[in-house]
Amino acid sequence: MTGVKRVRTHRAASPWLFLLPGLGTVAAFNLYPFLTTLHKAFTDARTLTPGSWVGLRNFRELLEDEQFWVALRNSGLYVVLVVPFTVLLPLLLALLVQKRIPGVAFFRSAFYTPVVASVVVVALIWEWMLDDRGLVNAILRVLGAGSVSFLGDEWLLLFSAMALTVWKGLGYYMIIYLAALANVPRELHEAAAVDGAGPLRRFTAVTVPAVRSTMVLVGALSSVAAFKVFSEVYLLAGPTGGPAGQDTTLVMLLQRTGTGLNGRVGYSSAISLIVFAVALVLMLLVLRADRRDGQGPQDARGGRDPKGRQA
Amino acid sequence: MPIRRGALAATVPLLVSALTLTACGSGGSGSGSGEGGGADGKPEGDITFQTWNLRSNFKDYFTGLVAEFEKAHPGVRVKWLDQPADNYADKLGADAAAGTLPDVVNVSPDLSYPLAKAGLLMNLDKEAAAAKFKGEYTPEAWQGNVLPGLDGSYSFPWYLNTGPLFYNKALFRQSGLDPEKPPKTYDELFAAARTIAERSGGKTATLGGTPAVEDFGRYGVKLMNDDATRFTYNEPKGVELLTAYKNLYERGGLDPQALTNTPDKTGQKFLEQKVAMNPGSAHDLENFKKSAPGLYRNLGITDAPNNTGKPNMYVMGLGINSRSKHKAAAVAFAHFVTDRKNQEAFAHKVAVFPSTKGSLDDPYWTKDDGTDEGRVRVASAKMLKGAVNYTPVVLSEEMKTVLKNEVAKALQGKKSPRQALDDAAAQSNKLLKQG
Repeated sequence: MTGVKRVRTHRAASPWLFLLPGLGTVAAFNLYPFLTTLHKAFTDARTLTPGSWVGLRNFRELLEDEQFWVALRNSGLYVVLVVPFTVLLPLLLALLVQKRIPGVAFFRSAFYTPVVASVVVVALIWEWMLDDRGLVNAILRVLGAGSVSFLGDEWLLLFSAMALTVWKGLGYYMIIYLAALANVPRELHEAAAVDGAGPLRRFTAVTVPAVRSTMVLVGALSSVAAFKVFSEVYLLAGPTGGPAGQDTTLVMLLQRTGTGLNGRVGYSSAISLIVFAVALVLMLLVLRADRRDGQGPQDARGGRDPKGRQA
Repeated sequence: MPIRRGALAATVPLLVSALTLTACGSGGSGSGSGEGGGADGKPEGDITFQTWNLRSNFKDYFTGLVAEFEKAHPGVRVKWLDQPADNYADKLGADAAAGTLPDVVNVSPDLSYPLAKAGLLMNLDKEAAAAKFKGEYTPEAWQGNVLPGLDGSYSFPWYLNTGPLFYNKALFRQSGLDPEKPPKTYDELFAAARTIAERSGGKTATLGGTPAVEDFGRYGVKLMNDDATRFTYNEPKGVELLTAYKNLYERGGLDPQALTNTPDKTGQKFLEQKVAMNPGSAHDLENFKKSAPGLYRNLGITDAPNNTGKPNMYVMGLGINSRSKHKAAAVAFAHFVTDRKNQEAFAHKVAVFPSTKGSLDDPYWTKDDGTDEGRVRVASAKMLKGAVNYTPVVLSEEMKTVLKNEVAKALQGKKSPRQALDDAAAQSNKLLKQG
């Protein structure tokens, strides 16, 4: 090989060689397990036996499994009810703590505390509060409202778990919004104020368009996380998935059927493929909505409004 | 050559990753071809021994035990492992699937069943080196580890336990019940629970949980057919029990969260004096003393009600990995841990009971020394004679969840008790058939 050829080969190969460790890690810990799951979903594999090919049997069984539909309903509801709150509430919180006033750092830290706390600890605290003889019911009784079985009723339990998820995620998404808000030019607010826009108008006309991309990101992240919810519901509802299993989510069903010495790994893999597919569709839908919006009014960073005027 | 050096540098992490991954599936003493060393040879080699949540309280006991065994068998080294109580079955499953099942492993019969069925545990009846010790254990204990359809016993019997029923005398008194006359039968239990619920205005529940499979067993329900191929707890007696529980739930006799409470949670509610009765073991006494002295002063202890005359018994055993490379050492060590001397020594440290022949005739388990612990110990030891393990060995965790959820539907009134039990049995039978 001539010197020139050697240098060319070197230049072509070098980037790939640098990528190899990363690619190797992805292949070993993401791609390989995914392909294994894909294969297992079409087998009757158990924890202790590799199983044999059964085609679509696991998926057919899933369609007839009452628990699967309950779990799909609960995971879907989680997305529909949790995501709007995780998109809007942290934004409002970020607006509150964005201002540079004395003591605001305390509130920023306080709102972020649930994020760093273990979900197990957080769930335990919520359980104590929502118990039939817990703090919330004690307050309700003092107010003469009687007690509410937050953890005994299937719907209240699910809503309680959703509230926990929103509360625990507030600080995390708030930080993301704080970063986005820091990039919104102050002049835009000042110009809007000069034009006579009040706080609400400035929020809808300046702030929201400016952080729209971040809202889409938060929406995408939280919708996938909501669809894959496990810990909060598991910890509040218990291993059976609430009264009569009515609070089971898809990931809880996946865990219940696929683990232990008798785990139905093939069946569980089929559930995980469905979770993957739905999460992927959710992500694509959110991103597509973002792209479609992007063709219209540009965001506040120098874009145009629908009438073509410079912002 | 710079390119080659770069390629080498980039390839090393890949190789390490690959080796790490493959090591997950092939390492450990339990791996290999399944041939292993013979069980009747001289004990030698390194073996692993796994217990189930015992390190925190009994570290010194097991360290001493291992040292004593190694001293008597200079060619053997024992590595003691311990796993937490939670998700123990999951951990066993992961180890077994990866080929890293320990050489000697602490199992209950329902855990040993899937392992034995997959050919991962040694059939002690078929292995002369192990079968020769059979006579040292009570026949019931040995029989308790015989698995249906697998023709033999798959674990050395270890400690046994049975539980008294604890009750809160103060709550009994407040409801006008005689605290010295706790319920003995299920009918008496349901009657007492109704009284407590009515007189406390629904503020005090008697029980924290819904009926589990052992409740059906104690009530006299036939849980499975004789060859353990079909669940039969939906028979009329099972429906009768569930109907009684449904009435109780509607009258406030069960904790409002009974449908989702785990045994841990019901224990906690009893500790907080929110429920009047809870099953437990002598082991709980120390906890009551420390955590709830008010409750301890009013603590009543009685036998769990049963209609069969046979209390429930929990059975622990030590299984041998059939793929162990050092089977002789594993058998020798498992026998050593479960021999009469060591079982009795362990049972003196904690409120469990030895499964070795003649042990329970010792005055320690027959004479009440006047303490609460002594009273519970003697009563529990007496109960063990004739006790049975009501949990069918083929009952998986998923089947337990199926039963609990269907029972909950019946208690909520979404299904009739008959329909709920029929559905639970049908789903469990389907799972059983799938293997």
